[in-house]
Amino acid sequence: MADKMTKTNNASLNVPLAIQNENGGIEKNSRKEGRMAEPSQDAPNKALIKKVAIIGLPNTGKSQLFNNLTGDYNIVANYPRTTIEVKRTLAKIEGQLYEIIDTPSLHSLYVHSEEEILVRDLIFEEHPDVIVQCIDALHYKQSLLLTADLLELETPVVIVITAIDEAARKGIAIDSKKLEEHLGVPVIESIAIRGTGDKQLKNAIAKARKSKANIKYGFKIESAIIDVMAVLPLEMVFKFKTAVLLLLTDPFFEKFLEKKHGKVMLDGVRKEIGKTRRQFQDRIRQEIHGKRHQWVDQISEGTVKKEESARGFSYYFAQATRHPIWGIPILFFFIAIVYLTVVDAAKYIDRPINQYFVNPILMFITLLKLPVFWNDFLIGNHGVLTLGLLNAICTVLPILTVFFFIYGFFEDCGYIANFSVLTKRIFEKLGVTGKAITSIVLAFGCKTMATLTTKGLTSYKEKFITNFLILFAIPCSVQLGINIAILGKFGMSASLIAFGTLAILEIVAGLVLNVIIKDKGENYFIQVLPEMRLPSLKAVCVKTYYRIVWFLQEAIPIFVISAVALFVADKIGLLNGLKHLLNPLMVGWMGLPSSMVDVFILAFARREAAAGLIYKMVDAGALTYIQSIVAVVITTIFYPCFASVIALSKEMGVKTAVVMSILFIVVSFSFAGILNWLLFFAIHGFKII
Amino acid sequence: MTQEHDLDEYLEQLWYMKEDEQTSVTALKRVLADKFDGVLLERLSVEGLAKISPDARNISLTSSGEAQARQLIRAHRLAERLLHDVLGSDVEKGACEFEHIVSLELVNSICTLLGHPKECPHGLPIPEGECCKRSEKTALSCVLPLNQLKLGASARIAYVKCQNDQQIHIMEGLCVRPGVVIKLHQNYPTYVIECEGAHIALDDAVAANISVWKDQQPSSQEAK
Repeated sequence: MADKMTKTNNASLNVPLAIQNENGGIEKNSRKEGRMAEPSQDAPNKALIKKVAIIGLPNTGKSQLFNNLTGDYNIVANYPRTTIEVKRTLAKIEGQLYEIIDTPSLHSLYVHSEEEILVRDLIFEEHPDVIVQCIDALHYKQSLLLTADLLELETPVVIVITAIDEAARKGIAIDSKKLEEHLGVPVIESIAIRGTGDKQLKNAIAKARKSKANIKYGFKIESAIIDVMAVLPLEMVFKFKTAVLLLLTDPFFEKFLEKKHGKVMLDGVRKEIGKTRRQFQDRIRQEIHGKRHQWVDQISEGTVKKEESARGFSYYFAQATRHPIWGIPILFFFIAIVYLTVVDAAKYIDRPINQYFVNPILMFITLLKLPVFWNDFLIGNHGVLTLGLLNAICTVLPILTVFFFIYGFFEDCGYIANFSVLTKRIFEKLGVTGKAITSIVLAFGCKTMATLTTKGLTSYKEKFITNFLILFAIPCSVQLGINIAILGKFGMSASLIAFGTLAILEIVAGLVLNVIIKDKGENYFIQVLPEMRLPSLKAVCVKTYYRIVWFLQEAIPIFVISAVALFVADKIGLLNGLKHLLNPLMVGWMGLPSSMVDVFILAFARREAAAGLIYKMVDAGALTYIQSIVAVVITTIFYPCFASVIALSKEMGVKTAVVMSILFIVVSFSFAGILNWLLFFAIHGFKII
Repeated sequence: MTQEHDLDEYLEQLWYMKEDEQTSVTALKRVLADKFDGVLLERLSVEGLAKISPDARNISLTSSGEAQARQLIRAHRLAERLLHDVLGSDVEKGACEFEHIVSLELVNSICTLLGHPKECPHGLPIPEGECCKRSEKTALSCVLPLNQLKLGASARIAYVKCQNDQQIHIMEGLCVRPGVVIKLHQNYPTYVIECEGAHIALDDAVAANISVWKDQQPSSQEAK
């Protein structure tokens, strides 16, 4: 009885398959040749510059490798999604010119998010000549899943295993020789941060040859793949992987194909897939995943040795940083370090710079006895030197240098992702869950970048709230650094009031938006936590150096231009008119001196320019305790920098960007006034009025 | 006896067709191929298990036919779960016999034992049984959701239920899948698990959808 059943059951499945296999067999041969021939046909066209794409899971050291290969610099940090845009640089390796491409993270060619689509489209549009995959030895199996995908592209692949030193300390040893045998592609061990293995990598890139995928999907699936390949356009590259992705039903990929090859082709493909899927009763996805994991397990078993090793300090420390109780003192400890260093460093750097550099310059120009106009143009209130160059170099730059340095340490030690775990419950109340939390945490670095990371958020509500909170009351790193220095001059209480106010505003905004905006979207939080590690001093210095260079390149022209603009506005009387006009608002409502109008105008251009001016005003004794707090709060909310508004309109549309900006201005002005009067009454009581 | 079997087979096929929202007799013929038998079709109709349209083109289950098919599918998919999760063996071969020989009570026991899984290993829904409705936790169950695992304990994943395709792929990519041993490090403010060397933070909903085997102490080697 049992025999009969099995037989009949199989028969019902096998009949249609048998026919397909005959066709499939014939197709297979001809197609395969076609596919092999393609790359060599276009080889002469792109022989001049070859493309090398660096691909890998999040936080696997892609950017570090990019830097090592090119001598260029892309920000490296120990948290996922440091790189969110593709970066390219030309580099010569063994006499051949290569375009090295650093990419955001990719988990698999079946993509999870918008950022990943960027990377996959790059691979499928540009067909890189060599793919370098970064594998983090600590996330070995997860990385091998991606390796499986890349090998199936049948394009030359080079594997780089990073963090081998760290893995060794944890008792994980990867046999790269054996892995090389298993995969049939070069495998290089690297400690990217020290540049170990760079030479071998360059060599491997130069010699990279086509690899072969050797995952056995079994007869049924393989013939299904071949059937799909048969309906794909002849000239298409990566046909095999395309077919697999289509069988996995990747909606983004179908869209990509439709754009590239037209609807007719896609409809044909869909028909073929529908047929296959009915045959498998929808289980093809699980089967394919299952086979891939089998392949990974097999390779991992043969190439990795694990030994029990003592849990290091970093292991326990990482746990403590996200612990609901221990995490809080650690957070405050970190905040205290940043605060004290920036405030103290600012104090010590300030004096000598003013004494030996700024004052002599001012003295010299005064001694020149230039006509009043030129004197004002150079060192007047809105002088190109005073408000422009010297403000950038002598006021803002020193504080930023210290701040960037400390911030770099935090980035590299792996604290930031753990911070998002610690604060998840709070953010949830504000309507921000999942990946959005990381985006908001990134806003403390750069708001523009943080806004760009919201690309992957699918729910409109969450995207709106996240962007609002990013741009609202969070000071970006540049502003935060200078704000700390400004408030530091008035002692701890000023900082507590100002940052406390900002935090309350941010929370209230989140709570209100969470209630106002109605939208139910599916959200979930799955976040891989990076290893905590002691940052390398050299890496942090390099990063600080580049951040400063970029700051100078980007900011100085804007500092100078806005100083000139203010100077002109002042000379033609526009500034005075504006001051007069805003007087009731500025002086009456917010209790600020009317000269603060300059600060607001600068804030439109660049936030640190405005903050730098406030800092100078405080230095000169032009602002009181209350005025400084109000000034810091209002300039933080007032208007997000121009670049981040552009990023916002890219993500949410121009209309939303404009509405949000206006909202920020209105809220900041009304709130700054309230804060001013609250502080006033708190300090002076009601008697004075 | 054999005919009973074939009848069951027909009911199951009709259930699959219902899941695909198909009713054409031609489609049924195609799937059953040489096993197709007009007499049996007739019998389904006579016994009130299926309704055949007057023009003999469309066929669908009646409510009593559906109830019977539901039990069969439930048993079949639970068997797949059992074989896949517990024995790790090829799912299709063993399971296709299973539904014909087990009693309703046995099916419910297996369902409880497995912790009332919602999907078969292929991701198809397992019809809910009385046992699922009555209680979610029975003493017999040897699977528990991750959010009930003791802090610091290691356990092998039995199965992972995902909200959508995207999540399936994320979990697969992180190697959070049946058979893998995970360690629960933290359950507040979020769940933090260690899986294949990586620390992963998950929210409550995701953690509740991961089921692990209870009382199965993995060796220290695997726990790592």
